[in-house]
Amino acid sequence: MSDEPLLSVRDLEVVFHTERERIHAVDGVTFEIREGQTVGLVGESGSGKSVTARSILGLVDEPGRIEGGEILYRGEDLTEDNWADHRGDIAIVFQDPTNSLNPVYTIGNQIEEALRIHQDLRGRAATDRAIELLEDVGIPDAPRRVDEYPHQLSGGMAQRAVIAMALACDPDLLVCDEPTTALDVTIQAQILDLLAELQAEQDLAILFITHDMGVIEDATDWVNVIYAGEVVERAPTEALFDHPAHPYTRALLESIPGRTDPDERLPTIEGEVPTPTGPATDCRFAPRCPEAFEDCRSVAPEHVSLDGDRSAACLLHDPARSDGGERQ
Amino acid sequence: MAGAHGPSSDAADDEVTPETASTILPTESPTLVWVGLGAGLLAFEVGALATFLVAILSDTLAAASLPGVGFVEGIEAAARQLPTLLSRETVPNEGYWNGQRWVGTFLGLRPEVAWGIRVALVYLYALAVAGWAVLGYRLYRREYRAADWTPRDDVIDRFRNHGWGLFGLAVVFMFVVMAVFAPALGPTTVDKNMRNSYDNELTYWDAETDSVETILVGEANLASQSRGDGEERVGPMEYDDFGRFHPFGTLPTGRDLFTFIAVGSRISLVIGLLSVGLSVGVATSLALIGAYYKGRVDLGMVLVSDGVMAMPQLLLLIMLTTVLKDTWVAGLYSGAFLLALIFAFTGWTYMWRSLRGPALQVSERQWIDAAKSFGQRPRTIMRQHMLPYITGYLLIYGSMTLGGAIIAIAGLSFLGLGVSPPTPEWGRAVNLGQEYVDTGSWHISLIPGLLITLVVTGFNALGDGIRDAIDPRSDAAGSDADDGAAAGRGGGA
Amino acid sequence: MSRLRYIAKRVALSVPVVWLGTTMTWAIIYLGPIDPATRLLSEGQTQNPAAYEAARTQLGLDQPPLQHYFDWMGSLLTFDLGQTWLLYQGSDVNALILDFLPRTLWLGFWSVLIAVCIGVPLGFYAGMRSNTASDYVASMGGIVWRAMPNFWLGIMLLAVLGSSQAIFGFDWQSLWIELDALTGSPDLSRLHTVEGFLAATKKVLPAAIVLGSASMGNEMRIGRTAVLEVRNEDYVDLARAKGVSERALVWKHIFRNALIPLVPIITSEAFLLIGGSVLVETVFSINGIGLLFFNAATQGDLPLVGTLMYVFILLIVGVNLLQDVLYTVIDPRVGLEGA
Repeated sequence: MSDEPLLSVRDLEVVFHTERERIHAVDGVTFEIREGQTVGLVGESGSGKSVTARSILGLVDEPGRIEGGEILYRGEDLTEDNWADHRGDIAIVFQDPTNSLNPVYTIGNQIEEALRIHQDLRGRAATDRAIELLEDVGIPDAPRRVDEYPHQLSGGMAQRAVIAMALACDPDLLVCDEPTTALDVTIQAQILDLLAELQAEQDLAILFITHDMGVIEDATDWVNVIYAGEVVERAPTEALFDHPAHPYTRALLESIPGRTDPDERLPTIEGEVPTPTGPATDCRFAPRCPEAFEDCRSVAPEHVSLDGDRSAACLLHDPARSDGGERQ
Repeated sequence: MAGAHGPSSDAADDEVTPETASTILPTESPTLVWVGLGAGLLAFEVGALATFLVAILSDTLAAASLPGVGFVEGIEAAARQLPTLLSRETVPNEGYWNGQRWVGTFLGLRPEVAWGIRVALVYLYALAVAGWAVLGYRLYRREYRAADWTPRDDVIDRFRNHGWGLFGLAVVFMFVVMAVFAPALGPTTVDKNMRNSYDNELTYWDAETDSVETILVGEANLASQSRGDGEERVGPMEYDDFGRFHPFGTLPTGRDLFTFIAVGSRISLVIGLLSVGLSVGVATSLALIGAYYKGRVDLGMVLVSDGVMAMPQLLLLIMLTTVLKDTWVAGLYSGAFLLALIFAFTGWTYMWRSLRGPALQVSERQWIDAAKSFGQRPRTIMRQHMLPYITGYLLIYGSMTLGGAIIAIAGLSFLGLGVSPPTPEWGRAVNLGQEYVDTGSWHISLIPGLLITLVVTGFNALGDGIRDAIDPRSDAAGSDADDGAAAGRGGGA
Repeated sequence: MSRLRYIAKRVALSVPVVWLGTTMTWAIIYLGPIDPATRLLSEGQTQNPAAYEAARTQLGLDQPPLQHYFDWMGSLLTFDLGQTWLLYQGSDVNALILDFLPRTLWLGFWSVLIAVCIGVPLGFYAGMRSNTASDYVASMGGIVWRAMPNFWLGIMLLAVLGSSQAIFGFDWQSLWIELDALTGSPDLSRLHTVEGFLAATKKVLPAAIVLGSASMGNEMRIGRTAVLEVRNEDYVDLARAKGVSERALVWKHIFRNALIPLVPIITSEAFLLIGGSVLVETVFSINGIGLLFFNAATQGDLPLVGTLMYVFILLIVGVNLLQDVLYTVIDPRVGLEGA
């Protein structure tokens, strides 16, 4: 791996302006992805992970706005309105394949559009390439499918077509925003396999965004755990699953069925992800945290480096605090 | 939109603590005070209310030529004796200049000031009644309702923050008040100024002879006509030669336009409410039945409604008013009742089309199957398990259809159909002024048209506001694309 | 194939609609409280039993109602529409319709065109720039425009045009092409010449603007919401991520989808246009079929009213079929979802 990361997100701030308040959907998210790596971004719904994904592609819609931080693609800051120069370098796959394809154009038309822009293919050549791509993503009978409309495809097939469309851009990084959530379990596994295969073949970096720890464990090399717009822990996948450092990560892992004693009730995390409306003045997980102590409610924790490259933003790991703090 | 709080903003929030709550009505028994306030407000208008109710009864009897007309007329006379504090008699604006001062007007003020005071009082009174109703609702919510919070509270909160909807509500409120208090608002009355103008006398200051004279109202009208420029017109906010003040000017017949419009608003509102009420009833029943039984029943309804809709509404209106012109129903309330019936007959299809989708959706829910499975009667299922889910749509489409009805009624009376003269109707005023728009008497057509536009916009805005309040995410292009749009437009009038 | 089947199904369904509408018209006119025969006769003739009987026989009212109904429906179906009684007395109804209908169609054509060409782009523009000052101005304008009664707008427009010299500094009547009068019927006999075409267009232009006003407001509103909705769809974001240029994004991905909800609006305006034509033709004194209908109704030529209603029903059902065809062209999903 080269020294420079493929993509580096630093202190990203995305704010949604509503009539009443400013919602900090993403509040200082920092992480990086190296070439060919699969990085996970995991968190509950409302934690800001999808907004992060959209920000990377410059797709944050009004009333949201990127108000701080940098998104460096090969060292170039995309937030300075450079997205147009790197279209196709980063591709995205959304959660719901039925909404991801324009209903009034054929699959082929939409793939060929990308081929025309990024590979300068037109006419017959483009159609042939589109059929190839559809075959690559495992769509049977591709020459016929290429002339079909999105509503004629099943969910799994449509998601494959979306991936084919992403590949048509010849990207270096594929952002997958909950790509399997809307699909049946068996189809989910197929799509995950397909992504792994493509990655191996094409040396693609993948940012995998999901709420499903199982998917993270299967698919990623490195994980960032996001909570209320902040990354609270980052670690290599294996290390994270072996020794979760942040209480939130621990809680997430415990809530996966099958990881705890089958006779016990499955632990859940009580409460909901808060909606941050101002700068953090405390640990946002503290109200739901079983291990919170007094300082947690008055100090916003910084990332503390742990063994290896990993880090966690939790006062429990802050030598200056946790030793002296009273546990509640 | 935090600034868009209405007059009732402070205490209506959900978490009313006992401390803040007591500021609503600082008393031990708020309900009694509330009832007392209501009685007090009612006392201002008891006479007008009684007269109005009896008048409707006697009109109906007279039109249907049923017996008992004389008896009811007796009651009507008695009802007139009941005191009405906010009436034109209490704050009169009709008086005359006797050379030194105004005689007969309120406190001897100039007629325009006296009239302005009366209008202001009427609207203040209406606001007070509205405030009283809001107070009652809050009282109920705090003292009597078992649930602390219901989804409806959220709907109300969302509506309170919906500026456009509030604008609509304000316009509709102004319009309804104008309709309800029409006799008290006009500078003169329909009876005196239009219907029996040759039975009423008028005292005025004759500038030529320097003396106080009397003249028949009808003759005074002839000399106050608006048919052109300069001397031939009495424009808005002007006095005629007989010391009468005309806030909107006069008609080509010399009659007072404001009085005409105020009373016309009443007939528009009555027809609108009646027809929308009827079509809501028909459309709801059919939507529920169609959604419950589906299949052929539904298909049959689609065909029938398509059949009715294939006849353009305005043309159907024209055809039906012509055919039914000489029947006894046409005599009821100057033809307004018949118009409402015809509107309901031609208009239910649009409403039904809009309700059909939501009703079908509700009928797919599992609680319907559950109710069917334990043998609940179809009627009860429709009423208890389906109806509540489509009432929101009724409000939305009801409001928009009302706007459309007002345009269509005006269009018909512009053509000389529908409401029979001399009962005022806005569209007729537009028609009367048509020849004079490019002269100095432009006000005759312009003002009623502007008012129609304003009121219809108001009803549409109210509908928009209710829709957004009920379901903030429902502004779907498809949801009101089909028919709500057409219904809101009175068949193209 | 399935699209053809879809259209065939719609055609089949429109037959009972025409039948129902026509039957209701018959019932209203011939079973209603008014005897069409008496209405056709002048004051003096009503006293004359012979004349009355003759009228009844001519109308076929001496037959049993059911027989009369079938005769009537049959003659409508074969366009054997007979002659008029009161209005343009004794002229052939077919010829009368052929004479009057083109003027209404000409008016309707321009009003649809103007409404679509102004309303849709304005709505799309407002939707693309949602929540900006220009959006608010356009939206407000559309809402108010929609709420104005046609007949009133027509009168006001005529007044403004009549004194255009004083208001705008040019005289509408003599601008470009001299018109004989502001109001009146357009001369359709010279449409094939450039000048005749322009003159006929200019003549109906103010009326068409008025007639199209309500539709224009509707189209604007729906167009705006449609664009807003489509803009937020994932496939638009995905296309943007794919590197599609803003222009292609708007024209290819947004507009075509936004047109789908506009189709029923544009066609449901047929209701508004045909209904509104009565009032607009009255105000602008255009001898169209709407004015003919109105005159027939007020003067008591009820048989003619019924016949004209049949023509209107055919027009409306025809426009609805056109809508279905348009749908299948724009939206590939139609006919495949078991609609």
